[in-house]
Amino acid sequence: MGKTILEVKDFSFTYNQAINKVLDHVNFRVDRGSFFCIIGANGSGKSTLCNSLVGLIPHYFSGEMEGGIRVDGMDVRKSSIGELSQKIGLVFQNPFNQLSYTAGTVAEELAYGLGNRGVPGKVMQEKIEHMAQLMRIDDVLSKNPTELSGGQVQRVALGSVFILDPEILVLDECTTQLDPLGAEEIFEIVKKINGSGVTVIVVDHDMERVASYADEVLVLSGGRAVKIGSPRSVFTDPELEQYGVNPPEYVKISDMLRKKGYTNRETAITEDQSIQMVKEALKG
Amino acid sequence: MGIIKDQFTTKSLVLIPIAVGINLIGGTLCSLLKLPLFLDMIGTILIACLSGPWIAAICGLVTNIFLALVANPVYLPYSVVSMLCGLVTGFMVRSGFFESKWKAVITCLVCTVTNTISASLITFFVYGGATGINGTSFFTAAMIAATKEILFSVLSTSMLENLIDKGIVFAIVYSLMSKIPRRFLSQYSVSIRKRPAET
Amino acid sequence: MEMSNDFVPKNTIIEKMNPNTKLLAIISLGISTLIFPNPALGLGVLIFLFVVSCIAKIQKTFLKVVLGFGIPITVMLLFIQGLYSPKNKTIIADLGFAQMGLEGVLYALKIVVTLLVFLGAFLLMNKTTHISNLVAALTDLGLPNKAGYLVLATLNVVPQMQKRMSVIRQSQEARGVETQGGLFNRIKAYIPLLGPVILSSLIDMQERGMTLETRGFGINGVRRTTYVKATRSPMDKPLNVILILFLLIVLILTLLMKFGIL
Repeated sequence: MGKTILEVKDFSFTYNQAINKVLDHVNFRVDRGSFFCIIGANGSGKSTLCNSLVGLIPHYFSGEMEGGIRVDGMDVRKSSIGELSQKIGLVFQNPFNQLSYTAGTVAEELAYGLGNRGVPGKVMQEKIEHMAQLMRIDDVLSKNPTELSGGQVQRVALGSVFILDPEILVLDECTTQLDPLGAEEIFEIVKKINGSGVTVIVVDHDMERVASYADEVLVLSGGRAVKIGSPRSVFTDPELEQYGVNPPEYVKISDMLRKKGYTNRETAITEDQSIQMVKEALKG
Repeated sequence: MGIIKDQFTTKSLVLIPIAVGINLIGGTLCSLLKLPLFLDMIGTILIACLSGPWIAAICGLVTNIFLALVANPVYLPYSVVSMLCGLVTGFMVRSGFFESKWKAVITCLVCTVTNTISASLITFFVYGGATGINGTSFFTAAMIAATKEILFSVLSTSMLENLIDKGIVFAIVYSLMSKIPRRFLSQYSVSIRKRPAET
Repeated sequence: MEMSNDFVPKNTIIEKMNPNTKLLAIISLGISTLIFPNPALGLGVLIFLFVVSCIAKIQKTFLKVVLGFGIPITVMLLFIQGLYSPKNKTIIADLGFAQMGLEGVLYALKIVVTLLVFLGAFLLMNKTTHISNLVAALTDLGLPNKAGYLVLATLNVVPQMQKRMSVIRQSQEARGVETQGGLFNRIKAYIPLLGPVILSSLIDMQERGMTLETRGFGINGVRRTTYVKATRSPMDKPLNVILILFLLIVLILTLLMKFGIL
């Protein structure tokens, strides 16, 4: 594993006028190029954490903040959201709230962030064409973004963020409002982006997906980082359910098979591992 | 200047398009229900409560620019009226005149007077007494025939309309402010002082 | 009231002009009419604007809007100013219940032509310019991106809100909620509907603000670029010179007339 690209150190945050800390002394590191997943029950502070990573906290949402976050050497507290957006990008749940509402076409939408950086027209055009291919939206470039499907808009949103060449992508439940097919399309693209060396931080409710994609998993509960480790070590932890997280179904299947003496292999956490285990159990 | 600049944060600025939309919805609703009112300042007053006087003034300006672009540029000079109402309401709210129903009523009255005087002055000086865009112009004309005092006529018709109109607008905004989720409200500077912190 | 920037491309030379030229035309022609002491100049400018509207192939809309606004306000102002203006000295007609004065009539006509010149010129600019084109042109002039955002976002967001509202209205009607009946009933049936639309829109906008920030909305000190390039035409430069000269000449003429030299 390479060197750390993102470091959260003793980070706490309380919204204005609230009594309780949304995030409570959170500590973790993310390795460069890794696929990092954050899981936890509703209200555990996942979205607040994502907003903190990209600088929306404390520069957009105000409140009481302690500790610090460093993104590729930049101190989030001291850098503006604009400066940070060159290092780290965010895609969140509702696709239609991720349009700039200044664009008449998808191409203009993709260009918005580039325009804010003063990127000249020719470079803009090249980047847009490349991004449209990667996001599979080249057939809708001249359409009005508000008239597209949720899945398409979410790919436009992902494209509008990724076109700024960030080294880290944060995806905060970005497929929750999409149909399964739309969600799968997004994850295929994200996997490809991750393969090209970009660090990916994903918040997701689909534990089967987390188990198959993640290099490392962080569990949040009540604003605290209660567990961090490989998907296997996290999902086989017997305490996991008390944090409001259910491990993938495959974990239960393995436990059952082992209890009944059909297998003595290590716990399966992904579909492939589970199929393998069941096959062997049937043979034996 | 520093204080003015503090209000122009992105999270305040993005409320302007929606506030403009609210202003227009009120107006559309009136014509739909054939109400003899405007209700075209709900958004401006709401944003005055959330983001302060200067953002509210811009909201008033943008509303009128929008109407000029899509409907009729006749509205453009009246942007001064919306801007003044936004400013006055914003400053009143800031000095605590929205904390209780009775204080809100005072703000409402001040806003009504501001609206009436500035709108009348514009109708009088820019349009010579009539805009020809609503029914009250005819009423104004009848009053003029009766009283022969142009400025006075313009003022008195305007006052009556405005009192009813702003009364409803302020009632709506007052009830809206109590329904906005606390998490949202706490991000906006002006409004937060008046509700005690929840546990 | 219809609320859309219903720009329909017609491929005319007016469309291809730079939007800033059209803005300069509004200012130059409007102010000239405003300062010139009598309505004659404005009348001339109006005829010129009509000719331009024919070139832009929107003469029907132009006449509809200008006459639709012009006729009622002329009648109303002739009534108010013509009959009751305190400036009236020269009586030109006696209607029995009141007398019509020349000064009031001229003042009324002056107001009307000035308003119509602004209205007509604005209409021409608006109907021949796509809004992204206008904002791109203004950005070239150094318009702050926040101002550009407000105009574009408002034009995009308002129709959405109206759609949301009309969906709610239809469902209310389907459920049999009265839209008729007494004033109070009508208010009672609809005002509560505003609440949910307004609240959900506010929260949406807060999220959209996050989007803007993460795309560099707040970056300072950068000369912004736009994907849409403002249209340009070889006519822009000479027209700008002519428009500024026109305003200057009118200004000089007006001053000369004021001081009684002409």
